[in-house]
Amino acid sequence: MTSDSDSLLKLIAETRFAEDMSIGQLECLSRVSRLCMLSPGTILFREGDIEDNVFVISTGHIRLSMNVPGRGGVPFLTTGPGELVGWSGLLGDGRMTATATVTEETTLIAMSGQKLRDLCSSEQDLGYVLLKRVAQVLSQRLLSTRLQLLDLFAECRT
Amino acid sequence: MKPAATAHPHNPWLAHSVRITRTAPATPGVFTCDLTFDDAAVRKEYSYRPGQFNMLYLPGLGEIAISISGDPDLRDVVSHTIREAGNVTNALAQLPTDSSIGMRGPFGSHWPVEDCVGRDVVLVAGGIGLAPLRPVVCHLLTHRDAFKDVTLIVGSREPSGLLYSAEYEDWRAGGIDVQVTVDRADSLWHGKIGMVTNVLDRIPLRDAKHTILMTCGPEVMMWYTVQMALGRGLSAESLYVSLERNMNCAIGLCGHCQFGPEFLCKDGPIFCYDQVASILKIDDL
Amino acid sequence: MSLPVLFIARSELDQLIRTLADDGYQVVGPTIDQEAIVYGDIASAEDLPVGWTDIQEPGKYRLERRNDEACFGYVVGPHSWKKYLFPPVTLVASADRTKTGWQMSTPEAEPPRYAFLGVRACELAAMKIQDKVFLGGPFVDPTYQRRRSAAFIIAVNCTQAAATCFCTSMNTGPRCNAGFDLALTEIADGFLMEIGSEAGQALAARLTTAPATSEQLDRGTSARQQAVDQITKQMDTTGIRDLLMNNLRHPQWEDVANRCLSCTNCTMVCPTCFCSSVNEVPDLTGDHIDRERSWDSCFNIDFSYMNGSPTRNSIQSRYRQWMTHKLATWQDQFGSSGCVGCGRCITWCPVGIDLTQEVAAIRSSPSISPATEQVAGKSLEETES
Repeated sequence: MTSDSDSLLKLIAETRFAEDMSIGQLECLSRVSRLCMLSPGTILFREGDIEDNVFVISTGHIRLSMNVPGRGGVPFLTTGPGELVGWSGLLGDGRMTATATVTEETTLIAMSGQKLRDLCSSEQDLGYVLLKRVAQVLSQRLLSTRLQLLDLFAECRT
Repeated sequence: MKPAATAHPHNPWLAHSVRITRTAPATPGVFTCDLTFDDAAVRKEYSYRPGQFNMLYLPGLGEIAISISGDPDLRDVVSHTIREAGNVTNALAQLPTDSSIGMRGPFGSHWPVEDCVGRDVVLVAGGIGLAPLRPVVCHLLTHRDAFKDVTLIVGSREPSGLLYSAEYEDWRAGGIDVQVTVDRADSLWHGKIGMVTNVLDRIPLRDAKHTILMTCGPEVMMWYTVQMALGRGLSAESLYVSLERNMNCAIGLCGHCQFGPEFLCKDGPIFCYDQVASILKIDDL
Repeated sequence: MSLPVLFIARSELDQLIRTLADDGYQVVGPTIDQEAIVYGDIASAEDLPVGWTDIQEPGKYRLERRNDEACFGYVVGPHSWKKYLFPPVTLVASADRTKTGWQMSTPEAEPPRYAFLGVRACELAAMKIQDKVFLGGPFVDPTYQRRRSAAFIIAVNCTQAAATCFCTSMNTGPRCNAGFDLALTEIADGFLMEIGSEAGQALAARLTTAPATSEQLDRGTSARQQAVDQITKQMDTTGIRDLLMNNLRHPQWEDVANRCLSCTNCTMVCPTCFCSSVNEVPDLTGDHIDRERSWDSCFNIDFSYMNGSPTRNSIQSRYRQWMTHKLATWQDQFGSSGCVGCGRCITWCPVGIDLTQEVAAIRSSPSISPATEQVAGKSLEETES
């Protein structure tokens, strides 16, 4: 058990997500986390479902898509190590805004959204660091989304 | 009256006669055209550095500035990857093999491949921006041992737009980490989806401060690529961009390609980022 | 050259013109056409605007009779010598379809050898600037090179100034100091003549001249001084390069854009503007193509484009391009200002835009920093209360 939780702590510490977090904060996180190993093709969560977990990718590759009737599942982003998926569990109502599909052998750190929210209230320092980190991830995601939206390579088409 | 003088031997307006040896489709709306000089002496003399461009001339239609996309060490044939975008390029795309056209060049500044020796190199290409970087790839492959880690990030609107995709495996085999990403795809695509900046964010950098980065693509893409690179610890004087405006004379005399104080045809198109940083984000400059 | 100043009688001017013509020069100089003083062929002194002067203001140009018969009693008009050195339309190359493919060639015919009669100091400065543009870079323009090296230059020192002149601010005049073969200063019965080159000396030797008397020299000096005294327009050029490049988002650009018509007059009359375009001119068979270079202007909406769309899609951005190029980035490119203070752009602007006033407006108001864009004239505290 101890070695499992040590290795979980280590994996969390190694992610870019956990940069600048103190040992104490990492320990708090690891107490509400568990490790998941998933194989390609696994659907992590579906768009529209309520999902309590928030996931940080340790290794691997995940594809995000949204379902549009008549177009099927439209993939719009893939993410990899250090990235966050399922942030709605922490910030929103837990209803997922995308379907997440594993595309390579992937190791995820799954954190309980409810317990994270409780932690943020009780350990405000950790709460600040966590939400700051989530804000950074999301702002980067927003910029990427805008760049995709600008359709910069559109002139490539005749 | 003095007798008529012969044309000045180095008249920069004089185009050489060249012939199409091969025209092949590349991606939708994009084709590659290989040219060779009619005059053997000119063919022997001609050489170019990666990043330079030629003015391709279709008499009666006009000239266009096209980056050279071939291997600079193979000089008999000069290769250009061209997007069909107007009168001249559309006509050029239809010309059969052995057609005669004109060419002036090479013009412009070049990618700093000589500065890459002993360093990690990152190339970030978007859309047709891979074409002016291909000579760099060729050079890095030919002299692979001179460089440390070499990464090429290629972005495209969708999988069908990935330029030179048939060569990626060869490039990987030659020691370049080729990472591919698209803006949009259907569920048959199993690769990365997202902007090139996402991929740049995640590549390992052993020695960011001494890594050299060259990027070519839409200006907005290059800007955010550079910002991402700066955020990851690369230094401004090791970042290179390729700027573009319409060109008419290619010799710095007609004024069309000016961007701030720079004539893109002779001061560029390749610039070190720190030289153009202060003017890149002035709207409508 | 410190040769003694000569005097030639007024009547000798015809001899000067004839001698040049006999030597094979096409003598061109100021002449009246369509109620303006422009540059055209000069066969004799009678072709000059004798007894005429010009009244110039922003957006206004008129000719008026003088009360004397001065040959050069005016300043500069809408033409500049770039009309001959950098012609409005010129052949730069040709292409011919042959059995073995397209053959390209460049023009071999010798251009006319011009004698420019009546070049002002600001125009000598403009030629020096265009020399840097066309001859001083990595590529030399053959048309300019041939015409320039063949040109014989007779400068004229200004003896008056227009309200739009500001050569003194740009250190380009009104005195002609160098860059000419001969330089004339008009006094009552003739001209003082300074020798500026060996060619000038050789020509002077074939005219009837006499060393200028000290009385004649004094009259010349006071005539030239009159030009200096009449200059009223100033442009403060202190730190102008950084002033403009640090104020690319200044509200003055919008202000001038509301007046500017983007008509390109200023670029056409400016003696240093050099923008051009090369176009294809096929003959009827399509087997012979001429490549013709014509004057173009950064004020044309499609002058600069990317992916088929204009990059300077507003008059504001185009005016800013013209003015910052002329006064600021020209320095980065060519090591000097692009402006010689001739005032033509001010006179010939249909709405009377005066670039000296645009510079002054930017200089006088606080620069707007992009990081803290404030409501113009108000601080944040004032707007919130």
